[in-house]
Amino acid sequence: MTPTARSSAARTAALRPAFAVLAGATLLGSLAGCASSAQADQSTGGTTSSGGSYKDGTYTKNGSYASPGGQETISVQLTLKSNVVTAVTVKTVTADPTATAYEARFISGIQGVVVGKKLDALNVSRVAGSSLTSQGFNAAVEAIKADAKA
Amino acid sequence: MPRPELRFEAIGVPWAIETAEPLPATTVAAIHERIARFDRDYSRFRADSLVSRITREPGRWRLPDDAGPLLDLYRLLYDATDGAMNPLVGQRLEELGYDRDYTLRARAGAATRIPSWEEAISWDGSHLTTLTPVVLDIGAAGKGYLIDLVADLLRECGVDDYLIDASGDLLHRGPDTVRVGLEHPWDPTMAIGVYELSNGALCASAPGRRAWSDGLHHILDATSGEPTRTVAATWVRADSALEADALATALFFASEARLSEVVPEFEYARMMPDGRVGRSERFNGELFL
Repeated sequence: MTPTARSSAARTAALRPAFAVLAGATLLGSLAGCASSAQADQSTGGTTSSGGSYKDGTYTKNGSYASPGGQETISVQLTLKSNVVTAVTVKTVTADPTATAYEARFISGIQGVVVGKKLDALNVSRVAGSSLTSQGFNAAVEAIKADAKA
Repeated sequence: MPRPELRFEAIGVPWAIETAEPLPATTVAAIHERIARFDRDYSRFRADSLVSRITREPGRWRLPDDAGPLLDLYRLLYDATDGAMNPLVGQRLEELGYDRDYTLRARAGAATRIPSWEEAISWDGSHLTTLTPVVLDIGAAGKGYLIDLVADLLRECGVDDYLIDASGDLLHRGPDTVRVGLEHPWDPTMAIGVYELSNGALCASAPGRRAWSDGLHHILDATSGEPTRTVAATWVRADSALEADALATALFFASEARLSEVVPEFEYARMMPDGRVGRSERFNGELFL
């Protein structure tokens, strides 16, 4: 997000509880930084690269953060017009009974929170992880991002 | 000395097969043929595949001889996950944009309910009867199973010391131990742990890298028809890659206790979206906590 868009978001949403607005702004920033590119640049079609201009439209992102009551997931929806945020809504989407029920099954085995280490430093010969995606998939994701960028 | 390695691309991902001795050309050709046959039978991305023929009309279909272990395990895990892991997710995946053209856009307004096993198909060990046109998707276990089939072929060719790496899903046989980094689901340059693999399979499932718009990805909860968001990544060690791959998906939906009724011996690690991680009591590796 550009600084302009973010501060506009805060202004437009001034009537909403400050907590939710701050959470939303942080969320957008952190998603762009830590997620893989395919995940960060979710688009209906949005792009989170800094600079440049954004196509008018409504953009939605979900993200999680730790709250005193446990893990919360929120959905932030921004409406952009001429590079300015004209509407913001922040919704809590944690209250998904299915997700909660599934999660309850998994709690027992939890050991702690992971700390990633650089693969280069680990002396491993192989990596187990998500498949690399095919060129076709990557090209399609790129095309969607290009469409979204005005 | 680095060991000889055969590299190629198949079913849309890079593969590497490491062996003690270089593989003869005939063995290499046989591997490619075996993979091509699997793709021709089971790919929903190929208009000429058996799975694509099955989508067009209901009927009684003779499946290839290798279908037994795959569908049998799918059926058991369908029950163990209360229907969340279901090979009938293909049409819904297409609707969400994960189709042969990589549309990667959800079709507006489309929300087909994923049929239950009983209402749509029956499997008798050789024939699949489809009561409606169904789009089978064996993505949750197909790659692991193909690794096993390639391993069977290597054994038939007299090769008994090898490591198959199908882009992050591994099967090892031989006297040595392989140190495997457990890829961080949000950063492929990092690991969340190291596993010491010897004579077994280690498969991972993490939807992040295949996510497309609006957080859509390919691991669907068939009971809701939506991509699951409860788990960030899983890793499973089992005797076969079929079991390891299938369990890596099933762990998005079910507890270890429930799944061990289907596959008695497996080890796992499971990472939640907030970074918390759990593992089986027995786990031949280290998690960085």
